[in-house]
Amino acid sequence: MKRLGLAFLACVFSSLAQSQEIRIGVLMPISGPGSYFGVMGKEGIDLALEQLKGGVNGYHLQVQYEDSACSPLQATNAVKRVLDQFRPHIVIGEECSDASLAIAPILEQARVPQLNAGSVTMKLTESGYKYVFRIFPNAAQQSLPLAKVAYDRLGARTAVILYEKTNAGNDNADGFEKPFVAMGGKVLAKIDFGRDVNDFTAIATRIASLGKVDVLPTFALEGQQVRLAQALAQAKVVRGGGGNAVQMGSIWLPYGFDQKAGQAAEGYVRIVQFDPNEKRRIVQDFIKAFRAKYGADSVPTHINSHAYDTILLIAEAVRRGATDSESIRARFSTFKDVEVTTGRISFDPKGQNSDLSVVHFVETQKDLSWKGLDW
Amino acid sequence: MVALGLTLIYGVLNQINFAHADFVTVGAFTAFFTATRFATKVLGLPDTGGYLLSLVAALGAGAVLGFLVNAAVFAPLRSRGDELRPLIATIGVSVLLENGQLALFGPIPYQFDSPLARETLRFGRIFISAQSLLVVAVSVTAIAALYAFMRFTFLGKALRAVAQDRETAGLMGINPNLLIGLTIVIASALAGMAGALLGPVVVLTPFTGASLIVKAFAIVIIGGFGNMQGTIIAGLLVGVVEAFTVQYLGSGLIDLVAFALLLTMLAVRPTGLIAERKEENV
Repeated sequence: MKRLGLAFLACVFSSLAQSQEIRIGVLMPISGPGSYFGVMGKEGIDLALEQLKGGVNGYHLQVQYEDSACSPLQATNAVKRVLDQFRPHIVIGEECSDASLAIAPILEQARVPQLNAGSVTMKLTESGYKYVFRIFPNAAQQSLPLAKVAYDRLGARTAVILYEKTNAGNDNADGFEKPFVAMGGKVLAKIDFGRDVNDFTAIATRIASLGKVDVLPTFALEGQQVRLAQALAQAKVVRGGGGNAVQMGSIWLPYGFDQKAGQAAEGYVRIVQFDPNEKRRIVQDFIKAFRAKYGADSVPTHINSHAYDTILLIAEAVRRGATDSESIRARFSTFKDVEVTTGRISFDPKGQNSDLSVVHFVETQKDLSWKGLDW
Repeated sequence: MVALGLTLIYGVLNQINFAHADFVTVGAFTAFFTATRFATKVLGLPDTGGYLLSLVAALGAGAVLGFLVNAAVFAPLRSRGDELRPLIATIGVSVLLENGQLALFGPIPYQFDSPLARETLRFGRIFISAQSLLVVAVSVTAIAALYAFMRFTFLGKALRAVAQDRETAGLMGINPNLLIGLTIVIASALAGMAGALLGPVVVLTPFTGASLIVKAFAIVIIGGFGNMQGTIIAGLLVGVVEAFTVQYLGSGLIDLVAFALLLTMLAVRPTGLIAERKEENV
């Protein structure tokens, strides 16, 4: 009888232990022009969850995906739905700045941490939200090095800034313009465009008529960047088309952009946070696991790795004793030098990752491979 | 060409086809896979030959899709004599096609390169790619062929008769349903070929057509709903206005200027540049 009672208690505790879970809401664009973020993000998260399926500290990580479509309206609806139905302890997302900004006040009010891995707008971590944490470099962290490199290393004195008409595009464009002008550079034109623009011939023609342009910092989604690079090459503005200007970009662009843009991408200089060639063990282990799951020829992008990292960070918080939203937030606030595939994470008091140790410049070569630049 | 298909269907059926954009996307994907997989890898054609073959494939795919959708969805609903249901069905077909393509091809943009896009003609600081010239040439040819078909052939005349008065045309021995089906097939074929021409110019995803259709609607309204000549003129007008907007006002104002033009036209001349004449039974 005693033995039976012990067995019953063991069963009860075992089932209690199994029922302990950390619920993670994931808001990603699965439809619309930014939907490649969602597809790649899901791949990264699924891989991390598979590796952590045994649980962390007795907690099982449970995920619910919602399509937020890179849109403020859809993201708002999605976050309300996920809060109401799933009651997450933390929400990962969104990728696009406008959508991330839309959900931040809702999560703040619900006291649920928002872990962001893809938005650049300054407003996300500069608006006083206490539950926002971002591992992606913000607009200033991305644009300032671009401006410095353009002026100091490339000797650029004139620039045309190309950017999508969103919070992310605006912040990146301003983040480049101000320091570049302060250093003595001249911005000949700031050209913005909506996400529905497909044909960049007229824009390239206009740039060709502006005279000598040294650099073209460009902030847009991958599909538009491909067409933009090709139009600029056709207009013989950029090096990929036989011109003199250097097109510059930020971490927005995933690995593989160069192959899509073809010869037009030659000479493109950009900053990357995730480089599959990096020798750190965590990066190589991630690539090995990624290939085992998604095919031997697949190469993970920064979007895959950022999403993978978000789960690693939540797992680390749980490992350090987090059990609910408040304790996850408290553990995140103490994170310093937590190693993930995209570098090391140290959140500043505003929730922004301040560590840029692995962010570096690469230049696209004639064979479309990357040459790491020691800048 | 996208707008032309829209106006053709409206002219004959008095109905807007919201799925037209997705026929464009289907054409673009058909051309992509024909050019990059079938023509070059299976048939061993050179890049240019493969791309030209893909135009024909996209035209055919659009026509077949138009035929199937009309036979399976539009025609049965039309036969019930309800005008609202076929209209709503076009939205349903649009969502179905978009999500079907999303499931098949995924959301990551495809890189559809035409060999002609690499060739550029330059006139001082102005440049035009061979692909753009091909778009113009094929569009002009298709429009001329369509015009000749509508103007000089028996079927074209019958089609115009159905557009003017379906009942009277029926009394004259014309089968309106057959000609409505033919209209949808022609418009869908045009949409398919437009997709093949635009594929190398735009960002190819399952949502490509959706990004084009709003502008196509604007062109159709400016030109005069249902009027082919008006649509052609409006297409050129909007294109020129957009190019000048980019050059002198800023690319961010393209939509603002295009839709201001649309609203002005609706206020000043609601029938469009060339009003479509409709006979009224009294």
